[in-house]
Amino acid sequence: MLEAFIFATILCGFFGIILKKNLLMKIISMDVMSTGVIAYYVLIASRDGLFSPIVGKVANAAYSDPVPQAVILTAIVIGFSIQALMLVGVMKLARDNPTLETNEIEKNNTP
Amino acid sequence: MTAITIAWIALPFFLGFLIFLVPKLNRHLTLWGSIASAAYALQLFVEPTPLTLKLLDNFGVTLEVDQLSGYFILTNAIVTAAVIIYCWRSDKKAFFYAQMIIVHGSLNAAFVCADFISLYVALEVSGIAAFLLIAYPRSDRSIWVGLRYLFVSNTAMLFYLVGAVLVYQTHHSFAYAGLKDSPPEAIALIFLGLLGKAGIFVSGLWLPLTHSESDTPVSALLSGVVVKASVLPLLRCAAISPEIDTIVRIFGVGTALMGVSFAVLEKDSKRMLAMSTISQLGWILAAPEVGGFYTLTHGLVKSSLFLTAGALPSRNFKELQQKPIDTKIWIILVIASLSISGLPLLCGFGAKVLTMKNLLPWQAIAMNVAAVGTAITFAKFIFLPHTQQGEQLVKPGFWPAVALLITGLVAANVIYLQAYNIADITKAIAIIGGGWLAYTFIFQRVAVSLPRVLEQFDHLIGMMSLILILLFWMALA
Repeated sequence: MLEAFIFATILCGFFGIILKKNLLMKIISMDVMSTGVIAYYVLIASRDGLFSPIVGKVANAAYSDPVPQAVILTAIVIGFSIQALMLVGVMKLARDNPTLETNEIEKNNTP
Repeated sequence: MTAITIAWIALPFFLGFLIFLVPKLNRHLTLWGSIASAAYALQLFVEPTPLTLKLLDNFGVTLEVDQLSGYFILTNAIVTAAVIIYCWRSDKKAFFYAQMIIVHGSLNAAFVCADFISLYVALEVSGIAAFLLIAYPRSDRSIWVGLRYLFVSNTAMLFYLVGAVLVYQTHHSFAYAGLKDSPPEAIALIFLGLLGKAGIFVSGLWLPLTHSESDTPVSALLSGVVVKASVLPLLRCAAISPEIDTIVRIFGVGTALMGVSFAVLEKDSKRMLAMSTISQLGWILAAPEVGGFYTLTHGLVKSSLFLTAGALPSRNFKELQQKPIDTKIWIILVIASLSISGLPLLCGFGAKVLTMKNLLPWQAIAMNVAAVGTAITFAKFIFLPHTQQGEQLVKPGFWPAVALLITGLVAANVIYLQAYNIADITKAIAIIGGGWLAYTFIFQRVAVSLPRVLEQFDHLIGMMSLILILLFWMALA
């Protein structure tokens, strides 16, 4: 069930990238897609249990797998930095193309 | 050896950081970084056994260094050094050099890592740094081209991440070897990411615009090494199981044919070089065991061609055929074009023969067609008019940079001397002669220009879903 929702998020993001006309909306769709991917990692980590794997009072609880969570942290940071970089680029582009229509920008900037 | 490897991986990033602190030393530090890589790569060729490192813990970063990565690292080092020499007396700021050494370092990391997550990090870092290099002139067009590159590669890498976690789910490790018994979705998603990032087959049509619209040194760097960052993992994956090997070979043949058919009809010199990069990536993938040598030769040739194309007075072949170019530049063009077409005495010949020897029977015809196509493509450069007089302006760093690359082309011949036998030499000359004949009688006259519909941004992203379905179907079969 949860898995289906996550895949729906990823697909929504993906189709958003294709179907949205505005460059800013495309970037946000990409963010939605990456959120879906992150959620999928978290879901896989929590397959075996929900307790965080740190020393605590609970003995022999069903611990969640720390590896995917640790790994996805890197991907979050990278995704975030790419978003920031793209938004800076969009800011520059917006000066000359205020509507940010992708088709227009593409037409102006391809030989 | 372990300590040296780790220090060598960290060195470029450290140098990049240092450049920001001491901007005066920018070129020197970058050059020393690439020399260090070259030394490390050469040392790998004398090392008999491959080195495998497992850092931190069972789930930590794994590195695998062998001769195959040695070829890629050497390509990276030589091309970066040539580009730095080319830029030596230009007005590029320290920022540019810092990005360049960071690209260099992240590519090195991508060439040695052996698990999917380190690869992801290395590829994304190289993508970000390459974006900054593309967007360095800060013009609208360069920003748009860079954004498009970043967008396509990031979307491809998101698919790749899903594939990587599926591998983890089956094997509880991210190592490449886990791809063997993973579900077909994992193979399809990971391959989509790598193919899209490397610019292979239809998902790689972002490449022509990006490589042709960038600045001359940047396109040399991009075409020479940056695209190869995700080719090496594909070669490594091909070694895991015969089924994956078949997929890689099919994509290799398809890409070689597709790229060359675009390149033959192309009228713009830089776009033609970019298209030919696509086809040459196909050559590397067509015979995964020996892809390393081909990578080295292609990296050297393509970066020297891009640097030379930047020195030509025009990008349009029509105009170039009217106006004679300087003979000295023409000679460089001819040497590089002959090497990529596979003429003996240049290392393109050895690489082509080695690849041909390692093809499966069903690939042979298609790859021979692609070889003829390459000869036709580069006949465009060879048959350009040229004169002695007429001083042409080249950048001050042009000659030393190209000299380094061309020397590399001749010197790399020693890697595969067995190629020099009568049968192979005759075949190579026949292929080139056939290509030139076809060029003079047919292709010089045709004026077909292919539509660029597939290169539009939306189509690039949409094409990913189709490739994903194709890959899934191939992985199931």
